[in-house]
Amino acid sequence: MSQAVQFYLSTLLAYIGVDFIACWALNLQFGVAGILSFCFIIFQAAGAYTAAVLTLGPETPTSFQQYFGGAHLPFPLPVLAAAVVGALLALVVGLITLRRLRRDYQAIVMLVVSLIATLVATNATGLVNGANGLSLVPKPLSKGLGLSPYGTTYQWIFALVVCGIALVCYAVVHRITSSPYGRVLRALRDNEQAAVAVGKNPLALRLGIYAVGGALGAVSGALLVEAISAWSPSSWLYPETFSYFAAVIIGGSGNDLGVAIGALLVPVGFLEAVRFMPTIGGPQFLGALEWIAVGLLLLVFLWFRPRGIVPERRRKYPAS
Amino acid sequence: MHAFIAALGFGIVTAAILAIASVGFTLQFGATNIFNLAFGSTMTASAFVAYVATEANLGLWGAVVFGALFGTVFSVLLNRAVYLPFVKRGARLFEMIIVAIAVTLLISNIIQAVWGASFFTLKLAPTPALNFGALAFTRDELGIIGVAVAAMLCVHALLHHTRLGQAMRATATNPALARNCGIPTTRVIDVVWAVSGLLCGLGGVALVLVTTSFNPQTGTEFIIPILAVAVLGGIGQPYGAMLGAVVIGLMTQLSALVISPEYKQAVAFVTLVVVLLLRPQGILSEVAEQKEVVA
Repeated sequence: MSQAVQFYLSTLLAYIGVDFIACWALNLQFGVAGILSFCFIIFQAAGAYTAAVLTLGPETPTSFQQYFGGAHLPFPLPVLAAAVVGALLALVVGLITLRRLRRDYQAIVMLVVSLIATLVATNATGLVNGANGLSLVPKPLSKGLGLSPYGTTYQWIFALVVCGIALVCYAVVHRITSSPYGRVLRALRDNEQAAVAVGKNPLALRLGIYAVGGALGAVSGALLVEAISAWSPSSWLYPETFSYFAAVIIGGSGNDLGVAIGALLVPVGFLEAVRFMPTIGGPQFLGALEWIAVGLLLLVFLWFRPRGIVPERRRKYPAS
Repeated sequence: MHAFIAALGFGIVTAAILAIASVGFTLQFGATNIFNLAFGSTMTASAFVAYVATEANLGLWGAVVFGALFGTVFSVLLNRAVYLPFVKRGARLFEMIIVAIAVTLLISNIIQAVWGASFFTLKLAPTPALNFGALAFTRDELGIIGVAVAAMLCVHALLHHTRLGQAMRATATNPALARNCGIPTTRVIDVVWAVSGLLCGLGGVALVLVTTSFNPQTGTEFIIPILAVAVLGGIGQPYGAMLGAVVIGLMTQLSALVISPEYKQAVAFVTLVVVLLLRPQGILSEVAEQKEVVA
């Protein structure tokens, strides 16, 4: 294979890993717990910023971008820190929104939280460099391995690392969904009154899964920024959340395998399809078409196959 | 002082536009409980119809008439073609909100695909400014304030002095009971969508009439202040929406005097979140309602 093809394939592999993690994270929040997490993208953004800042190193007076809390941490640490930040952010947002509020109102509050986050990150330049975002994030592991970050060997190693982390995330997600905790969450989703009647605390249970989802979303963002070396507010505007929602709904919300298929179709598939399309129309014409397709797919699936390509398994439990 | 007067003037115009749009939004939401997030994109679509009208040299009246007409027809069709089938099939509140999001994505991106992501201006002659003491308004702005007041009076008269309005209020309060009393609720709901769409179209045209330029995202973003107004006034309460429009409109513009103008939008955002968390039933109403979607 030529260098360019190898470069492309390894980058694609890293993207697939990142989108799998993001979709599994959203599936925990939306598919399993039924939370309309319309601010999901801010967890990915927070994770990306955390990882970027902790990889870039301390801000110097001469540096061209402004941010706070910079440090040089070796590879897995920025990702772990991102997970912590994502979980904390989810706890804060969850504590505000997940109280006894109609679910559509919850969704609206979360949507607005996403808008506020963009507004603040764009205008408060000292926080994470405003609208320009952060760039030139050093590639992780390249120094330790003694490889050039622009060589194909490094690319493949990094892609495999991302996939390895995705596998670990899958293990976590699968463990949660098949545990009694996952069962309680599904009960809450399907019949809240019944779950409350047998003594379950909806706020505490939902907050827990919301935080796990936030942490995994942040991990996906951290890996994404390590892969592409740059991150700015325009990469996480609120509609991005709905491309992940589309992936989860189309794949089959509540089903880990289905959601992975959805991730391959929507975020990965669309991105790549657009890349290979000839440039037609004005600027952003293809981008608009992409969103039209996402909207249509959502409507078509909600109407014809609301449970997705691979529907959630019907679980039977023996009477105790 | 000058800055304050200018901001006050902008605030009054913003309040008028918000009032037109929010009364339409809240009327429809109160009656059907469908969170029509596509309301903002429908405003944009109406604005682009008005743009086409001005490009065809139909002038201001052409823009207003075609924009309002489009809003009306489109809203009724949107309900009949998309929302109603989902509701009839038993879609729940949270599914409807995803449907509404999908519709929003469709409308705003179809506009973007057709017209591109650039900025547009209505091809109209600038109108002279008229002074009222220290306040100055253009003729268009005065027209918008007039339309807002007229729309409020008409909505009041419709709701309280006609049999149709009575039927609308009955349907909004208890659809099953209304149906059993012989009210043709489906037709009443159609009328609700039409009135809401008319106000939506007018609001969309008004919105782009006072801005120097607009793009395919203009109205889509306007949905948040509309939601803030509707929620502040109490969902389904036209008077609350009028009051809310004045509060949010003035607060948004006057806030620019004390905080950085970039954060102007945050006023509506924060109001919306705070009201939803503290008084989800709005400031005017007594009880929080738990309803399911109505068709």
